[in-house]
Amino acid sequence: MNALMSHRWSQVLLSIFTGLMIWEIAGWQFNSAFFAPVLGSDTPFANAIAQWIAGLFGKTIAEPHPGTVPKLISMLAAADMREAFWEVAGEQGWIAGVQRAVEASTLLKAVSESIMLFITGLALALLIGLFLGMAMARLPNLRIALEHYILALYSTPMAALIPFILAIFGFEFWPKVLVVFLFALFPILYNTLEGARSLKPEYVEVSKAFRSSEWRLWTDIIIPYTLPFGLTGLRQGIARALVGMVASEILLNPAGIGDVLVSRSQAFDMAGVLAAITIVTVLGATLMASVRGFENRYVKWRNAVR
Amino acid sequence: MSANAARITISGLGKSYGSLNVFRDINLQVGDIEIVSILGPSGCGKTTLLRAIDGLLPYDEGEVRIEGQLVREPLPGVAMVFQHFGLFPWKTVARNVAYGLELARAPKAEIREKVPYFIELVGLKGFEDCYPYELSGGMQQRCGFARALATEPNVLLMDEPFGAIDAQTREILQFELLRIWNMRRTSMVFVTHSIEEAVLMGDRVIILKGRPSTISDVIAIDLPRPRSRETLQSPRFAQLREQVWATLVDDVKRAEFVLNPA
Repeated sequence: MNALMSHRWSQVLLSIFTGLMIWEIAGWQFNSAFFAPVLGSDTPFANAIAQWIAGLFGKTIAEPHPGTVPKLISMLAAADMREAFWEVAGEQGWIAGVQRAVEASTLLKAVSESIMLFITGLALALLIGLFLGMAMARLPNLRIALEHYILALYSTPMAALIPFILAIFGFEFWPKVLVVFLFALFPILYNTLEGARSLKPEYVEVSKAFRSSEWRLWTDIIIPYTLPFGLTGLRQGIARALVGMVASEILLNPAGIGDVLVSRSQAFDMAGVLAAITIVTVLGATLMASVRGFENRYVKWRNAVR
Repeated sequence: MSANAARITISGLGKSYGSLNVFRDINLQVGDIEIVSILGPSGCGKTTLLRAIDGLLPYDEGEVRIEGQLVREPLPGVAMVFQHFGLFPWKTVARNVAYGLELARAPKAEIREKVPYFIELVGLKGFEDCYPYELSGGMQQRCGFARALATEPNVLLMDEPFGAIDAQTREILQFELLRIWNMRRTSMVFVTHSIEEAVLMGDRVIILKGRPSTISDVIAIDLPRPRSRETLQSPRFAQLREQVWATLVDDVKRAEFVLNPA
């Protein structure tokens, strides 16, 4: 087991190292204001590494350059968070302290705003996508009525709908949720529907033979059978919801990470832009990996059956 | 025919899909301790008939009564075993076996007690926490038996239960099923397309023929119970098998002729 774990960790390290190298090399190869390598060249240590890599390509770096990681750290800790925390934590408890600290950091505040938007939209999409998809498994007429429109909307670029939503609903929080919702809904709905369609009639027959109620038919058969398909959709939905989140924050009322992206790029602060993008990437990758982990843990049967 | 009281009474039963008449005028009684084999060429509607008896499929004419109660939907005390096993791949063996009991709202204590008993009865002890895909076909059908038996039904409906199982396992399971039936003798309707199986299992063999099919012959099987592998070697078994074969074969030949009129 130990050997296996260390093997796993060596794989993780190799993967991280590759990622860092690609980023650094790409950055320094095209050394300009628009590229922000991981470490930058602000500190003597980072500068030595940067000069070494640039040397591999026969270049030197003239100006000190902020890197993404130092930038990310400085943005996260921009305001005096520790002070903000202790200001409140003593009297109102640590939760209030954390809230105050988050508000004090521009980036964390933006991230928390964005996550709020993301989670609300994704949760609504998951609920409605799963329910509607499963309902269509049981009600063929509902499926016939909606199927083609779902497929059509699934293949419509949702970004194209944003001006439309802006015109009808305005640019506050809920219209943005609607954008995230629409981005995330269709992969979830479509996959759930595909799953529901492939539900073997045998299972329903067995449940009927054992005198199952409609309610038990859902809890015993339709939900457990269709859920893995929904989770595949959820993984795609997470990626699309993140696109929707950033797009709505840029195109509707600027807020959250989208706002950070816009303001930093207008200031030609590419390290800042990449720092914000890194957060979105880490958020998406973590969520998708956890859904995958959940799938592997609880719906093992599916890989074995198909 | 059977000395005991009739538990299942089928009278004038008919079923059509649109203009296609599957079977008509089926009259049959199944005793409360009796195995009735239903045999017929493929496509004769034996499986449809069994589903109509269970109440899974609506019928158009006549009626089915089980213990005097008119069958319009599956009744409690009736359990079915399927050719396709019908096990839920997301449930373990134990949870699959518990399924019928859970739906019958059996108390938790009863489920905890009965599930291991029936798992052991069908020879799946040690596989309680396996998923169906981890089992061979024969073991999956053992699980299907346990699920049906766990509700302690008075009527067992068998829909070609060994149809999807290899020959050797099939023979083993036939005797397993006879052993289990012997422990608690009830009514069983056994649909099959194997003549040997029909003769080995049944107290009577019902032969379905024609289009739409109906009962053409009823052959009493007077082989003593409990039946074992020796039964297969007995001259009486060979005789009965030949009799069933001869009754069935005309129809099969005619069907072949229609398909290949050379």
